[in-house]
Amino acid sequence: MALNNNKSKRALLSGSALALIGTMLTPAAIQAADGESVLKEKCLACHTQTGDPEAPYSRISQQRKTPEGWHMTINRMQRLNGLYITAEEKQAVIKFLSDTQGLAPSETAPFRYVLEQKPNVVEEVDPAYVEMCARCHSNARFGLQRRTLEEWQLHVNSHMAINPTTELHALARDRSWYDIAYNDTAPKLAMDYAFNDPAWKQWQKMAKPELAGRWSVAGYMPGKGDYSATMTVTETANDQFSVTIAGHYADGTPLQGSGSAKSFAGYEWRASLTVDGVKMRQVLAAAEDGSSMTGRMFRSAHDEIGGELKAMQGTAVVALSPSAIKQGQTQEITIIGSGLKGSVSLGAGVQVVKVLSRSADRVVVLAKASGSATTGMRDVRVGNSKAAAQLAVYDHVARVDVTPNESIARIGGNGGKLPKVQSHYRALAYSAGADGKPGTDDDMRLGYMPALWSLQPFDEAAAHENDLKYAGTIDGNGIFTPGDAGLNPERKYSTNNVGNLKVVAQVLDGDNAVEGEAHLLVTVPVFIKRAIQ
Amino acid sequence: MKFSKMFKQAALLSAVAGTALLSGCAMNQPTAVNGMKADGHEYLLTVTRPNQLHVIDTETKQVLRSCDVPGTFGSGSIQPSPDGRVAYVLSNGTEAVYGFDITNCDIVFSANQSQNGERVKTFVSLAISADGKELYTVQNPTRKLNDRYEVLEPRLAVFNTEDGLNAKSVRTFPVDRRITKIMTMDSGEVILGGADIKAINPENGDIRTLSALQNWARGADWIPPDAFAMFTQGEHVGEYIMPYFTIKWNGAPGDMEQAEFWWGMSRIDLATGEVDERETVPFQFIVFNWITDPADSNILYGAFNQISKHDISKNETVAVKDLDHTYYNINMDRNRTIYIGGTSSDITIHDPDTLEKIGSIQLTGDMSTSDLRIARLQ
Repeated sequence: MALNNNKSKRALLSGSALALIGTMLTPAAIQAADGESVLKEKCLACHTQTGDPEAPYSRISQQRKTPEGWHMTINRMQRLNGLYITAEEKQAVIKFLSDTQGLAPSETAPFRYVLEQKPNVVEEVDPAYVEMCARCHSNARFGLQRRTLEEWQLHVNSHMAINPTTELHALARDRSWYDIAYNDTAPKLAMDYAFNDPAWKQWQKMAKPELAGRWSVAGYMPGKGDYSATMTVTETANDQFSVTIAGHYADGTPLQGSGSAKSFAGYEWRASLTVDGVKMRQVLAAAEDGSSMTGRMFRSAHDEIGGELKAMQGTAVVALSPSAIKQGQTQEITIIGSGLKGSVSLGAGVQVVKVLSRSADRVVVLAKASGSATTGMRDVRVGNSKAAAQLAVYDHVARVDVTPNESIARIGGNGGKLPKVQSHYRALAYSAGADGKPGTDDDMRLGYMPALWSLQPFDEAAAHENDLKYAGTIDGNGIFTPGDAGLNPERKYSTNNVGNLKVVAQVLDGDNAVEGEAHLLVTVPVFIKRAIQ
Repeated sequence: MKFSKMFKQAALLSAVAGTALLSGCAMNQPTAVNGMKADGHEYLLTVTRPNQLHVIDTETKQVLRSCDVPGTFGSGSIQPSPDGRVAYVLSNGTEAVYGFDITNCDIVFSANQSQNGERVKTFVSLAISADGKELYTVQNPTRKLNDRYEVLEPRLAVFNTEDGLNAKSVRTFPVDRRITKIMTMDSGEVILGGADIKAINPENGDIRTLSALQNWARGADWIPPDAFAMFTQGEHVGEYIMPYFTIKWNGAPGDMEQAEFWWGMSRIDLATGEVDERETVPFQFIVFNWITDPADSNILYGAFNQISKHDISKNETVAVKDLDHTYYNINMDRNRTIYIGGTSSDITIHDPDTLEKIGSIQLTGDMSTSDLRIARLQ
């Protein structure tokens, strides 16, 4: 009944294009017109022309959304309102609306994780929204929409009509939910997520980043590790691209893939690729100056399996793997970037013993830190390319954080329609810093390190219910695979293979072992999966 | 209408024929209707997915018949008629009501509540007048306009059961939002289980408050209760129970160290309208609903993951037993046998004194949120 402990720790974790504007205008205008003519033909069967040239279509011109947001809207029109639209027409309308009624980069910045399908993000939600909106939705779901006051209020009415039991849920039935939603929450949404936010008008006027070209890519893929690659992007039609990606994982295994991409609102990059035989998606945002694209690449069929991706234009050092070296230690370091020509420097006290292999996007060196090298961050140079504070020289690993610190995996399979949803962990190491105490502000981030992975019951109740036996297993790469879905007659109440676990990482540092832990809830499947949860 | 009349005549004929046949060959047996024991013999009613109404003999614990309910599953809410002959079932996404003759599965009543451009949902709210002539629902209407939805005021709708198929409401009266289980009192008023528990006169729409819950006047030391239940029962002892959960702070609000967590209830005597509103037992585990022991009104039984027995005169849980799995719904026949259903596809049967499992009834599908009601066939 009332025991939703929704204290809401839902919380947030978190160009050189000017010259091309002229050439882009014409095809952009053609596509926009296509989308708009489809909109007129398909949507005005129900929506009406307002007569206001600034907001010509009822219920449409008063909203701004991401491409995923518009996609969900059109899906709902198909599902509930009998809209018949072909896949091509749908894409044209999404494109038109995302370009003309989209969100500016600054508007999507706080909520990109949801577009990136990044799992296990804990949001910090305004208390006014915690019980009204965020008890069902992520903050990102409504934070990625802009509506007028009337639109937010009509949106409340849509909830009442489409999901009429909304007002009976815990945290709704004990208050005048509809009145509060309509008269208090909608006006606040109209202020916090305002349709007329000037950010969008400003962004519309700006020159948009050039996305075609060669990008130097660094990223991480669970089970495979860090990778470096060159991504070659060719524009095939307006805001549509062919993409190839070629590179290596840190252990030298090659990475190869190709596919296609689209851009929306001038900076939203959505690519579908097949990488080493696996279908993957990229959701990236181009920096306003076009110098980089950042986001996440993940498996299409298992979006929880993926990792961050950063693409840089031009010559650059993008990342190191690993990004720390211990005093007195000799180890291989892979420098990831593009146009990596010239001699390698790893900073004071760190000697490049030997260059083991090199190509334009990847230099592998054998490095030795002297026993007397001072601890601290080092700039890394390859020829003229320099990256500040990339390599940490440390004395001891003093602290290990397991990321994500709060996580969920979902039982599945076992003949059911929904697959298991795994979770994946990394061990982020720190040295203690000048004060010699771990857990203080001066701790130095050493980066991700290999770890020995194990599971423990989270608390006494979990131990008593033997969650460890049923809820799932973790492998040497920190990938947790949950148990089978369905009732388990072996368990009390025949309960599912759910569980409350601790994920423990043990990082070995010489003779010392440093442990970190994270919380994992193994729970039931999500039966309705949306583009924006 | 024509069809409806034919239907009723057919049902009546078959009922008469069945009775005649039985009375002809077994004069000393209790009255039977279409081969089913009558004279108040008790039948357990529930609905399973995809959408079947099951009639179960409480004596043999056997499923006597399963009736296909038109439309998609609603909430599985059921209201038996006072003579036990008809089971009114909420169906079609809780938008329609179908009345089944439980002796032969004939559909003797239907009402599609979504009419005139409105989409009408009923959140488990079904009740019937003491003479069986009027069926009550609480309707929650919305209207779909060309590009937007309109939210309309909820209302009590009154149907004449003898209107048969495609019945339309004959009266409506405005009521509060968020009303779930309703029940008719001996006064003829209908209890409205919402944020506060009220009673409405279905003749004229007059409403009075029986038990202020959301608006109770206890001051800042108590949180307003969270009162909610999906299942209407209590007919075995003539009462209506709305369970609730609340917190007493005993100091600064939010200080969990000092706080007391309580189950409570508003229990209404259907004969007198008297309200027994009180905290029952400390919150130790989840109970979805309570029923009162006919032999002692201080004894309540609850179910969810456990079957539990509580003595509310002492604010104590006196016995708890784990169930095989989660169940939602609990009811009791006149022999005090406890039936626990909902959620999955089996009804578990328990002895009220020991709480021991004494039987089980396997059904063809999951009950999920369905009612578990007792019909006493006259």
